[in-house]
Amino acid sequence: MAKTYDAGVKEYRETYWMPEYTPKDTDLLACFKITPQDGVPREEVAAAVAAESSTGTWTTVWTDLLTDLDYYKGRAYAIEDVPGDDTCFYAFVAYPIDLFEEGSVVNVLTSLVGNVFGFKALRALRLEDIRFPVAYVMTCNGPPQGIQVERDLLNKYGRPMLGCTIKPKLGLSAKNYGRACYEGLRGGLDFTKDDENVNSQPFMRWRHRFDFVMEAIHKAEAETGERKGHYLNVTAPTSDEMMKRAEYAKEIGAPIIMHDYLTGGLSANTQLAQWCQDNGMLLHIHRAMHAVLDRNPHHGIHFRVLTKVLRLSGGDHLHSGTVVGKLEGDRDATLGWIDIMRDSYIKEDRSRGIFFDQDWGSMPGVIPVASGGIHVWHMPALVSIFGDDSVLQFGGGTLGHPWGNAAGAAANRVAVEACVEARNRGVELEKEGKDILTNAAKSSPELKAAMETWKEIKFEFDTVDKLDVSHK
Amino acid sequence: MAKPDTYVGINNDVQGGMTTIGKLIRDAWVFGLIEETETCEGWNFAMVDGLLQKVNTEWDKYGCLVSHLPEDLFKRHQIIHNKAMENAKAAGWCGEVETDDEK
Repeated sequence: MAKTYDAGVKEYRETYWMPEYTPKDTDLLACFKITPQDGVPREEVAAAVAAESSTGTWTTVWTDLLTDLDYYKGRAYAIEDVPGDDTCFYAFVAYPIDLFEEGSVVNVLTSLVGNVFGFKALRALRLEDIRFPVAYVMTCNGPPQGIQVERDLLNKYGRPMLGCTIKPKLGLSAKNYGRACYEGLRGGLDFTKDDENVNSQPFMRWRHRFDFVMEAIHKAEAETGERKGHYLNVTAPTSDEMMKRAEYAKEIGAPIIMHDYLTGGLSANTQLAQWCQDNGMLLHIHRAMHAVLDRNPHHGIHFRVLTKVLRLSGGDHLHSGTVVGKLEGDRDATLGWIDIMRDSYIKEDRSRGIFFDQDWGSMPGVIPVASGGIHVWHMPALVSIFGDDSVLQFGGGTLGHPWGNAAGAAANRVAVEACVEARNRGVELEKEGKDILTNAAKSSPELKAAMETWKEIKFEFDTVDKLDVSHK
Repeated sequence: MAKPDTYVGINNDVQGGMTTIGKLIRDAWVFGLIEETETCEGWNFAMVDGLLQKVNTEWDKYGCLVSHLPEDLFKRHQIIHNKAMENAKAAGWCGEVETDDEK
């Protein structure tokens, strides 16, 4: 008998709950943390999430009959308890690769975190992780240069790189701003950085800033014999304007530019990353707005997903959190997404919050940037945790030095080199950190003063978003 | 509250003078650009900016680094800045305030 249209609502689980399904290598897999409304069965709400984030809508429509639903639908294939939290559960959904445009993380997110997040059967929903099949990964542009090419371009090897955000973040004239950059770079930093709030305000238009900063870079390079960079923020109201600023940065010889990938938008970010790749430019990525999305443990998008999205969209650096210092950051979870940024293959590891194996194929890695609330006393732990392929970024921990910016930069440079040298001798940094720094300070008055400035500080805030194994 | 047109003077500055202008004035004392009795109280922005340019010129001779200063200037720097840090700490300043606005 021929199929007939049957108007009305039917249960999602009849179509989208498939516990017998074995995901294919080409499927895009997602893990959602679902907090259902009272009385809605887990299988039904998991199936509803699979449906609403793929082919489904709230009712049967006659055009369903014109598609191969069995091929295109998302499949909820597993459900798991969330350790220590009975209010929610994990649902695993497999999506066929054909649901997504090649090279478009925009398209992936539009489906997976679109209307489904407002679905009434849910009290809350969080996208915990995505497994991008390598077949999809290879359609994306990825980081413009990658870690090794960056090191080669900048001639910097065997240690973490050092950065600093220029402060005060708003209000400096372009000339004084450039001077602050010069002092930091001259003192030993590899990079200085525009604060994310600095775009092109009336007090300092972007072109003036770029010119004075490049003068600072040239001066510091001439005096130190090292390559230097400043993350020139090209985030702009339109992508045309963003590209205009990027083109000018290249024209004046800047090695690296910066973009805010969430507030600026993923289409703009992908466009910029592709341009950087074509033009030999490095791209530093800031993550303003991430906490709006990732901080609530029950609703939103986990940062490990945002990390994967950025690696696909493109960026050479990404702010990762610090683990130590005063800012948010569960150590194991942070280490998990640092691996996601840098490694070519990451195994499922629930102790780090990683739900799926992730194969990045030949896609280059992203350098994690540890930034915010850190100073010289944190250096041993930072070198131990982040290793060499990282940028350690001290803002107040550089510019807050009582002797000024260059002294703060010199203190951090001496400290990082002392820690790397000790580590290479086999010394345990986190145990012997105080002795390492104290010895180094004997030949660096700048470091000695920094250690006197910050030694009494303790940061003991608890994290809000812990791994689920430690909830309750 | 209206923003003052002139500087309050390093002795009246917040955080025991551990501010950008405070650091500038101490460096100006180190390099002998102004007398150590000069607190810059009542100076307007242009005067402070002018002093900044002079201090920058001095620092440029030594790569901006204290450890590159000749011995006499180094000693002078230590005396002036160590005293300032003691005073600032006594006034309630600590390094933590330098990272308070970071994210």
